[in-house]
Amino acid sequence: MNYKLVINPYTQKEQGVYLNGNTSNFIPFDPDNTDYQAYLKWVAEGNTPEAAE
Amino acid sequence: MAYGTVNADVIGTSVAGSNLGAGNATLMKNRILNGSMVIDQRNAGAAISAANLTGYTVDRWSYTASQTLKFTAQQNQGSVTPPAGFTNYLGFTSQTAFSPASSDFTGVFQAIEGYNWQDLGYGTANAKAVTASFWVYSSLTGTFSGALRVYGYARSYPFSYSVPVANTWTQITINIAGDTGGTYNTGNNGAVLLTFNLGSGSTFLGTGGAWTASNLFGTTGSVNVAGTNGATFYITGVQLEVGSSATGFEYRQYGQELALCQRYCNAFVFANSAGFTYNASGGGNYIVSYYTIPNMRTTPSSTGSSVTFASSYNVSDATPSIVTYTSAMFGLGLHSSASGNTYGVFTGTALLAAEL
Repeated sequence: MNYKLVINPYTQKEQGVYLNGNTSNFIPFDPDNTDYQAYLKWVAEGNTPEAAE
Repeated sequence: MAYGTVNADVIGTSVAGSNLGAGNATLMKNRILNGSMVIDQRNAGAAISAANLTGYTVDRWSYTASQTLKFTAQQNQGSVTPPAGFTNYLGFTSQTAFSPASSDFTGVFQAIEGYNWQDLGYGTANAKAVTASFWVYSSLTGTFSGALRVYGYARSYPFSYSVPVANTWTQITINIAGDTGGTYNTGNNGAVLLTFNLGSGSTFLGTGGAWTASNLFGTTGSVNVAGTNGATFYITGVQLEVGSSATGFEYRQYGQELALCQRYCNAFVFANSAGFTYNASGGGNYIVSYYTIPNMRTTPSSTGSSVTFASSYNVSDATPSIVTYTSAMFGLGLHSSASGNTYGVFTGTALLAAEL
């Protein structure tokens, strides 16, 4: 499993990640989203997401 | 008492097997969504893979396990006749003879949102008793089990029930005391999980009939469905209501049940029907935005989506990218390959999930 950061093209801020590099699998940076909570746990375990393009 | 007040937990009716509840009448009586297993947006009746550690089956019902390849799950699996009053059930079939280690668990649960549980006063001195009722059909007999767990797994109330005859629908009623301890979410996060144990180890089993400060799926010594290769466990008509009596199942209109489920999962189907056109001044990015109805629980993920182009012109992407903005809005992103007219039609499904 890996994640790739997604940059909002208008705000230029990180808005989420794509799971396993698949641009159909978007996970938003929303604290109430359970997939985002899983992402935070993955980061807390020492992993780093791929940079946005 | 005021005029019209009835001091009773349950009121018998002239319809056999049907009662009226006095617990907040009938509106929002059943805290379970899709208890009749009729909504299946993700799978449309297809089986979920036994390779999953966790996965949603019919809407709102999630399979969970510590090891893969233990069960397949499917709406109306095995094609048996559902109990009277129902056309659907959720079926599980064991894929192996599994003896769980102490740390293993398998089960199916539904998480209930805090907004839909807060009035029961859990975690306070005013916590209300609830009653679970459901129909079970299994190739096995004996004492089965489950639990009501607090979201976050810090506490649970295990329960057991008897299935005396194999391959026959049995209606079960479980009384659960209100929990005066613990901490329960009261907003848009989870409050409790109604869980049915399919085969768990000793770490996840305990004594039934009382709240305990541990994460239990069921009771010690209960039937291990996973332990028999090919064993079946089918369930439907699940209701969880306030009070100490099981009343008649709260049927909802299909559209109402679907809308309630879409707060957590919304299969947004394009089916060659959503076109876009714009004039790209110099190529670059373009996002086509859509609104979900109803608003979802929170900003959803889009994992499992399959949106692609039924046709396109001047588009450099094989498939659109997906981003979600709010609990009610998402967008499909694409790139023009050159300046000038860019157009096309989407097909497939954006599978938006804001599950608990």
